[in-house]
Amino acid sequence: MTDRRVVITACSAITPIGNSRDKIVESLLKGISGVKPLREDELIGRFIHSRVYGTVSDPIVYDFKRQHRKTMGPVAYYACQVAREVLEQSGLSPEFVTGGRLGIAFGSIHGSPTVQRDIYKIFLGAKDKETYQTIGAVDYLKSMVHTTAVNISKMFGITGRIISSGTACTTSSQSIGFGYESVKYGLQDAMLCGGADEYDTITVAVFDNLLACSTAFNDQPEKTPRPFDRARDGLVVAEGAGAVMLEEYEFAKKRGAPILGEVIGFACNSNGGDLILPNLDGITKTLQLGLENAEISASDVDLISAHATATKMGDIIEAQAIGAVFGSNPHVMALKSYMGHTMAACGVIETVLTLYMMQENFIAPTLNLEDIDERCAMVRHVQKLIEHPVKTAAIQNFAFGGVNTSLLIRKLT
Amino acid sequence: MTRQDIENEVRDIFLREFEVENPELDVNLREAYGFDSIDAIDLLLEIEKFLGSELTRDEKKQAMDIRTMRQIIDYIEMLAEKRHAAQGQGT
Repeated sequence: MTDRRVVITACSAITPIGNSRDKIVESLLKGISGVKPLREDELIGRFIHSRVYGTVSDPIVYDFKRQHRKTMGPVAYYACQVAREVLEQSGLSPEFVTGGRLGIAFGSIHGSPTVQRDIYKIFLGAKDKETYQTIGAVDYLKSMVHTTAVNISKMFGITGRIISSGTACTTSSQSIGFGYESVKYGLQDAMLCGGADEYDTITVAVFDNLLACSTAFNDQPEKTPRPFDRARDGLVVAEGAGAVMLEEYEFAKKRGAPILGEVIGFACNSNGGDLILPNLDGITKTLQLGLENAEISASDVDLISAHATATKMGDIIEAQAIGAVFGSNPHVMALKSYMGHTMAACGVIETVLTLYMMQENFIAPTLNLEDIDERCAMVRHVQKLIEHPVKTAAIQNFAFGGVNTSLLIRKLT
Repeated sequence: MTRQDIENEVRDIFLREFEVENPELDVNLREAYGFDSIDAIDLLLEIEKFLGSELTRDEKKQAMDIRTMRQIIDYIEMLAEKRHAAQGQGT
């Protein structure tokens, strides 16, 4: 079968800097951070050194029926909300949505930690059989790793394939990439792709114990994270969700769908070695494979949305890889500087925000990048808001476990 | 325990656990209120609490054909009578 073109016809995000397109664009234009003080969790919060968190602050009005709510933890609420917005925005008919040619690629890093925590509380505190029985039939459905994908499937009656990656920080970039491949190779005509993660202090504790979390700006949350900056001192964990609708180009065009952009390439590989340390060879290869897959050259790329979590070594390795593959031509910016690291959601949120910048013809600067670390200086950092058309962008993400992805998107003119 | 007591309790359970107010006695619960397999499991737990005793595997299997409110009330009434009779034999 001839490879098919794949376009994005709808997108939505719940983020620490806003839950609507207008609010998110405003935050990017004004340089508003969504990092806030860490909330007390009455469990492990007080032992965590990092006191900051990328927090979804704007209220969300959910309107989910009971038969859907009962299998949903907080992460599924986020997922179903962005999925609903994308389905509505796409204008796909109910017949198509339920007909089997629409699939789902959606994930989270480990399901719902809030629900898992409640289960453990019961399990560890149980003294009799009756208490054990309060662990309900639905608790697994709320907490399991593919809870986002299957709750979306149930709520909207989607009957196509389900892909639910759970590869930490590359979860949703894989969702988009695997969704892209599903449509490109004719396995589905459309894919609803994304990722979500809920507020979770355990994730902070994990990175905190690895000395990877920011601690130097606990009193000024908006000053961290600081990707590529000399004063960067680690990542900031965050919550959020995002979704995109991918469709086969001719199908989308025929039905008059709004086309926000085209996915032109995807690459995914693994380092095959250390599960934590950033790997220059691995991610350099990913970026090269992405370009090969898109059949474009490095000079065609105008903008790079860097993974850039603001860890000491991660940013240096990424800058070196970008420098080696792209040189100093494309603008490089780090969206995590606005909201922290939204974990499973970061790939799709960064894709959605890149689409917004493409549509509005601007490139937001990397927030808090005041003094570029000379070891990261070989690329073209964006330190001030610029009005600039973006035709082709690369969105790159790298995960614990040594998983790397590169997505290439293009604006259709 | 009268049949009316049982009906009142089941209505309470439906309102509290399944957000269904005054379900009709003879309609198919799945079709009318979206009552599904997960709800059925939760309902059995609520029935155990109401009766103050655990249901046997056979008793749970008997519940698999239930489709309406009236059948739920019949089922609980049967279970209550069975337990009452067992208690009588024991004294």
